[in-house]
Amino acid sequence: MNRKLIFTGVSIIYIILLIYGLTTVYSVGNPVLPKKVEGLKPENKISIAHTEIFGKLERPQVIFNHKKHEESLKKDNEGCNTCHPVNKEDVILFDFPKKDTKKDKTSVMNAYHDECMDCHKKKARENKKTGPVVCADCHGKELSSVKIQYPVFEFNFEYHEKHVKKLKEKIGKDDCGQCHHSYDINEEDESLALVYEKGTEESCYYCHEFGKKRGPELTAITKVAEKKGLTIRKASHQQCLNCHLKYQQEYLKKGEKDACPTECVKCHTGKYKTVAELEKVPRPDRDQKDKPFINIENSKMKGVTFDHKSHETYSKTCRSCHHETLNACNTCHNLTGKPEGNGINVANAYHHMFSEHSCSGCHNKKKEEKKCAGCHHTIPAMDVETMNPKKESCAACHSGKKDQLAMPKPLSTAGLDQQKVKKVVEIKVLEKEFEPSKFPHRDIIDKLVKVSNDSKMATYFHRNIQTLCDGCHHRSISEAEAQKDTPPNCKNCHMTSYDRQNLNKTRLLSAYHRQCLGCHEKMELEKGRKCTECHKEKKGRPTEITQMKNQNVVKQNTETIINVWRPE
Amino acid sequence: MDRRNFLKIIGSGVAGAATGNLLRPGRASASEGRSAKELYGILVDTTRCIGCRRCEKACAEVNGLSVPDISESKNESVLKNMRKTSDTEYTIINSYKTDKGTIFVPKRCMHCNQPGCAAACLVKAMKKRPTGQVTWDSNCIGCRLCMISCPFDIPKFEYSKAMPRIQKCNLCYDRYNKGELPGCVEVCPTQALMFGSRRQILEEGKRRIAVNPDKYVDHIYGEYEVGGTSHLYLSSVPFEQIGFRKDLGTRPYPEYSTGFLYAVPFIFVLWPIAMLGINRATKGNGKGKEEHHG
Repeated sequence: MNRKLIFTGVSIIYIILLIYGLTTVYSVGNPVLPKKVEGLKPENKISIAHTEIFGKLERPQVIFNHKKHEESLKKDNEGCNTCHPVNKEDVILFDFPKKDTKKDKTSVMNAYHDECMDCHKKKARENKKTGPVVCADCHGKELSSVKIQYPVFEFNFEYHEKHVKKLKEKIGKDDCGQCHHSYDINEEDESLALVYEKGTEESCYYCHEFGKKRGPELTAITKVAEKKGLTIRKASHQQCLNCHLKYQQEYLKKGEKDACPTECVKCHTGKYKTVAELEKVPRPDRDQKDKPFINIENSKMKGVTFDHKSHETYSKTCRSCHHETLNACNTCHNLTGKPEGNGINVANAYHHMFSEHSCSGCHNKKKEEKKCAGCHHTIPAMDVETMNPKKESCAACHSGKKDQLAMPKPLSTAGLDQQKVKKVVEIKVLEKEFEPSKFPHRDIIDKLVKVSNDSKMATYFHRNIQTLCDGCHHRSISEAEAQKDTPPNCKNCHMTSYDRQNLNKTRLLSAYHRQCLGCHEKMELEKGRKCTECHKEKKGRPTEITQMKNQNVVKQNTETIINVWRPE
Repeated sequence: MDRRNFLKIIGSGVAGAATGNLLRPGRASASEGRSAKELYGILVDTTRCIGCRRCEKACAEVNGLSVPDISESKNESVLKNMRKTSDTEYTIINSYKTDKGTIFVPKRCMHCNQPGCAAACLVKAMKKRPTGQVTWDSNCIGCRLCMISCPFDIPKFEYSKAMPRIQKCNLCYDRYNKGELPGCVEVCPTQALMFGSRRQILEEGKRRIAVNPDKYVDHIYGEYEVGGTSHLYLSSVPFEQIGFRKDLGTRPYPEYSTGFLYAVPFIFVLWPIAMLGINRATKGNGKGKEEHHG
């Protein structure tokens, strides 16, 4: 009996193990795909989810039709303050719910439910058309997989100009204090700290955008704004909408329907002006110099005369260069770096390659444009870390001459020696298969000269026609070539065959293809992208392009197969 | 120290100096310095490929297959369709329309570090060579298990032949043994293909990504996929967009089955014993009942 028990026990355990093993082998779970979220058109609707408080939602979000509510309230002669709180100075704060509640799950939920449903019930009692009071009517199941996101509104200089003009009509004088203010951090009475001083106007983003690294003084101010919850979103709604509401009726009487919009989609259009479109718009005057002379005390380099006036129109905002405050660069960046400037010294502040705010960084970005990228994609970027940069390159900016910004003469091909600069170069690397390629050397030079002369920046920096040669004849060392007047041939560096010691070294065949095609691709040229445009088919073209065959293996294998299958 | 020992030391010193001069430090050489301890492969830079199909032609030539027409007009029509490798085309180029323009992707055997095909082969016709190539051999019986086991859909069956076998790229094993580069690498006009030891090409791939962080996505396809492959790919767009599977994981394919396969003998041996056990247990019970009744 004992033996039987052991036998049964062992075999049952064994079978369980076997089943367990098989299930683990064959039950590899499929990954669960996340639900696809569909983007809805905003249409003045607002998604109420507050995932920052609720985390994962128990019930689907609520899509709130703001315009519908606005219109129905207007019928009852009720305004924004029915739902939104008003502060002591009669400024509507566009918060919801009206009551100030704790920011935890239950209180926020209750506040919303009270506010919404109380009003709905009230209207129902008054026998008016009203909204739902049952859960699923607001928290619709179909709403869990939709998303509403408004595109950010961009207050560009065109809008700015418009507002300045209109306000001047209204008030009769230049009063930038209507919108612009600064915060006096040393003022003890908080109600007096918000001041306006002419000449200190700045962008809203400087104080109302948190989470960015800033200097000690600004950090203190942003902290105050953060404490008050005045994010850029809230601050601008408060500032813009209160003023718009004030003047809207006035314009409506005049018949100007689109003036002073308060509807969501009127501002959040998702359409943005390009830099070129804003070029003609005058930039605000804040007593900035047209051509300041930037000279850092004790620095090794000569001073730079900077054309501030023209650069103003090259970007959409002042913030693209004046990233933290609207001050001169040397307020925060000095020769050795100080805490206000995040420790970044002045050399890097102007020359950092990857910064969006530095001269070199922005110029480098410009060089990625299709007209420039043809040559510049192969040329390593110039920054402070570049070893032995050409003297002329530095001197282009560091002239040391105050208030002088002479544009150099446009490049001209007139001085080129017809003998040395060939009109057409024949390339015969693939001669076996194709007719020699005819490379229109002179035409390309002419084209590049034209491209360079068309751009103001290129004209300023390409002072010598040899600069353009470097685009293709790269890695040439000007000092070494001073004695000779021809740039090096491709063949001088690139070998015709593979370098067996270094297979990564570019051989002549690929040097040509990559140089020519790379440039055509970067410049987005239609021409020269097809093989036959450069390589004309040759009559009696040999079919073979390789030297050695692999047929040994194939042959041997076939033989053995035959031996195996036909043993006679 | 005697004279004999002294000469030995001096001699080895001289020899060492001589060889040291030959084996210059620095760049690892390709053909001269080929080492049997390294896996060789190809780094494919899809940003460089121009879709000329010369590699296809070279591949057909070196492997004695029918040579495709790679004239401009033909290329256009061929590249319109998504193709797969076949028993007569070991390498093919596909074109993908992505947000960074048309990208050409040469596709051939990935030469996995731990190939599923070699593990699946019943007769060991598919082999992973110590130098990285996954080659096929003449003793193929045409069971097509390798086709099922390949995550990249590479081995192809000669359906049209009377005595069909499996065919696929073997990284030009013949040419490799003679110190030559694979056919496709030799003819590539833009050096989109770089042959070298896996260590070298991986290093080069990482260098290219580091130098051009804007140009490439920070991933080398084949570095970790299915336990690493000898064929590595660089791309300027996420790899899903150019027809690569991202769901393969980093576990080598043979490993999925080894656990199970090791269990097979265990089951075979213990199954009869278990059955016997059950038999003994149930039989015993029956006897007892019979006795009880009787």
